[in-house]
Amino acid sequence: MEPYKHTKSREWFDRATKVIPSGVYGHLGPAEGNFIPVSKWPLLSDDAAGEYARGSYFWDVDGNRYIDYMCAYGPNILGYNDPDVDAAALAQIKRGNCVTGPSYKMVELAELMVDTVKSADWAFFAKNGNDVTSCAIMTARAHTHRKKIIFINGFYHGVSPWTQKVDYPGVIPEDVANNLYIDWNDIPALEKVIAENEGEIAAYIATPYMHGNYKDNELPAEGYWQKVRELCTKHGIVLIVDDVRAGFRLATEGSDAFYGFEADLITFCKAIANGWNVSCLCGKEFIKSAVSSLSYTGSYWMSAVPFAAAIANITKMRELKLPGLLREKGIKVTDGLKAAAENNGFNLIVSGEPALFYLRIANDDSLFLHQEWVAACVERGIFFTSHHNHFINYSLSDSDINETLEIADEAFKVVARNHPELF
Amino acid sequence: MALDPKTMAYINMFGVMGAMENLCELDASARALLTNKKPIRLCFDVKDGPKATFTFANGRVRVDPGVHKCDVKIPLGSPQKFNDVVDGKATPIPVKGFQHIGFLTKDFDKLSKKLESYLRPTEEDLADPEFFEISTTLTLYVLGTALAQVADYDEIGKFSAHLIPDGDIGFSVKDGPAVTIHFKNHVAAAEKTRAVKPRAIMEFESIELARALFDGKVNALACIGNGSITMRGMINMIDNLNRVMDRAALYLS
Repeated sequence: MEPYKHTKSREWFDRATKVIPSGVYGHLGPAEGNFIPVSKWPLLSDDAAGEYARGSYFWDVDGNRYIDYMCAYGPNILGYNDPDVDAAALAQIKRGNCVTGPSYKMVELAELMVDTVKSADWAFFAKNGNDVTSCAIMTARAHTHRKKIIFINGFYHGVSPWTQKVDYPGVIPEDVANNLYIDWNDIPALEKVIAENEGEIAAYIATPYMHGNYKDNELPAEGYWQKVRELCTKHGIVLIVDDVRAGFRLATEGSDAFYGFEADLITFCKAIANGWNVSCLCGKEFIKSAVSSLSYTGSYWMSAVPFAAAIANITKMRELKLPGLLREKGIKVTDGLKAAAENNGFNLIVSGEPALFYLRIANDDSLFLHQEWVAACVERGIFFTSHHNHFINYSLSDSDINETLEIADEAFKVVARNHPELF
Repeated sequence: MALDPKTMAYINMFGVMGAMENLCELDASARALLTNKKPIRLCFDVKDGPKATFTFANGRVRVDPGVHKCDVKIPLGSPQKFNDVVDGKATPIPVKGFQHIGFLTKDFDKLSKKLESYLRPTEEDLADPEFFEISTTLTLYVLGTALAQVADYDEIGKFSAHLIPDGDIGFSVKDGPAVTIHFKNHVAAAEKTRAVKPRAIMEFESIELARALFDGKVNALACIGNGSITMRGMINMIDNLNRVMDRAALYLS
């Protein structure tokens, strides 16, 4: 097929750079989004073809359609513009959104979260993942009166200074002075760091499995989480699961439940409301008074429309028993991709959970081939990334998967043709 | 986040003064200063800091780490004292090789001043295309070499380096000068050549763009967006190298 052109994307992006730092900043932009090479990627979206983002598709300003495996980096879990979720949101708009008195919808959503998430005795709402991971850290410190936090190397927990590293612009050593770093799945390292900092550690924070960027994702080793739970309980360390990325894709009850343990605090965002902006920290009863004591709020944190959307979304996900369906779709996609790779002489490594699969072509050690293949997919209408896990959504049909596999196969052939030295 | 005198000394020794070898390759008038047939080896021996031997002969300069067969030896009591010498705030006193004082005060001094003119150019100088190209090339070499020193000696640079896996990063201008940064066990070394088998590449589309970036006239992220800087391969290597580059820029400023 004819590769897409991005003339209007470029025009809009050039306008953007004049008035917006970096044009499009952050993970949706070309730098952090690893658009390699940038010419192959759409930069801004629109309903240019008379179509709008729906289901598994979005359209760019040039009218190109993409089957989207990034799902806005996670929020799209039922499909863009899901009719049930959007109907609930639009109905709430007419009844009030951001008003002085918060809507009872907040109470309904909190009750639903407590009923849905296995380890939750309460729910605290904000807007972004970073809001609630920061809230979790402050809560742990307020509860324990300790300073230090254990992180897993390769972590991502948001954008506040405490989540960043000492060499990042705008971060000072004092911001991260109480951060302790260990490797994933390394219980001896955890025991060592606890022993070396006895009585000083407020929290251990980690994602349910290691879904860091630029490397194969790693699932928890057998018994890993149970041992972490045991050590945290023994040493009075608050166990925080950052479920912002994986939340609701592994289990509606929380990814801690999926892996057979209970967190003290667990954070949600992304998929909680199918794209409407709300995040949530859930926790155990024993730490409820600590979160109550925080001075922590925001202008839009109690807006009712995202609450209504989240209620509709979570209700629908529960009714569908969604995580199992996402797993099946993920397996179908990744099995097909591996077969297409093999047929064309490529070694495609698939890692992580199927609903959030991570891909890497392993024929070289540099990601050059992988980036070429991903770019060839993107310019033919399959939105993958080369550095980050992907996301499955409910609307992804067998027809979409078949189209994906056909394009992926063509993209493998393009890369193979460009590298006769390899085959 | 104070700058570390020892890291600065390594940058001064191998980045700034190390560019003398390239200066003589690129500039005929610099070559012409070194008419001596018999090599003169000038050694800088910095206590608790870098040590290097500069060999001058037949229009060429070679820089080697360590002090070897010195004709002229200049010991410095500390990295800061060496930095003061490079900054012209102190006068170096050799302990060996007084017969070569003439070389130090004349040819070496002229070479140093020529290098400084390229590394701290005026707008008028840069209007000359040949000067522009030499100046920008030397700046790329200094920056590339400084990256390795910061990654190896600066505390924050070492933090960045410990996140960089083994392999080579190509840092280059398209169809122009290039530096390879090697990482092995999180220790860096720079080589002023194009990478043969890089795991990651960061390339500027033109020497004009490189100059604009060095001078802070354009934003690197915006350049990635418009495609004038291309990055490929293990972007986590480049991402962490960029943190080192931020730090190196502070030292070089």
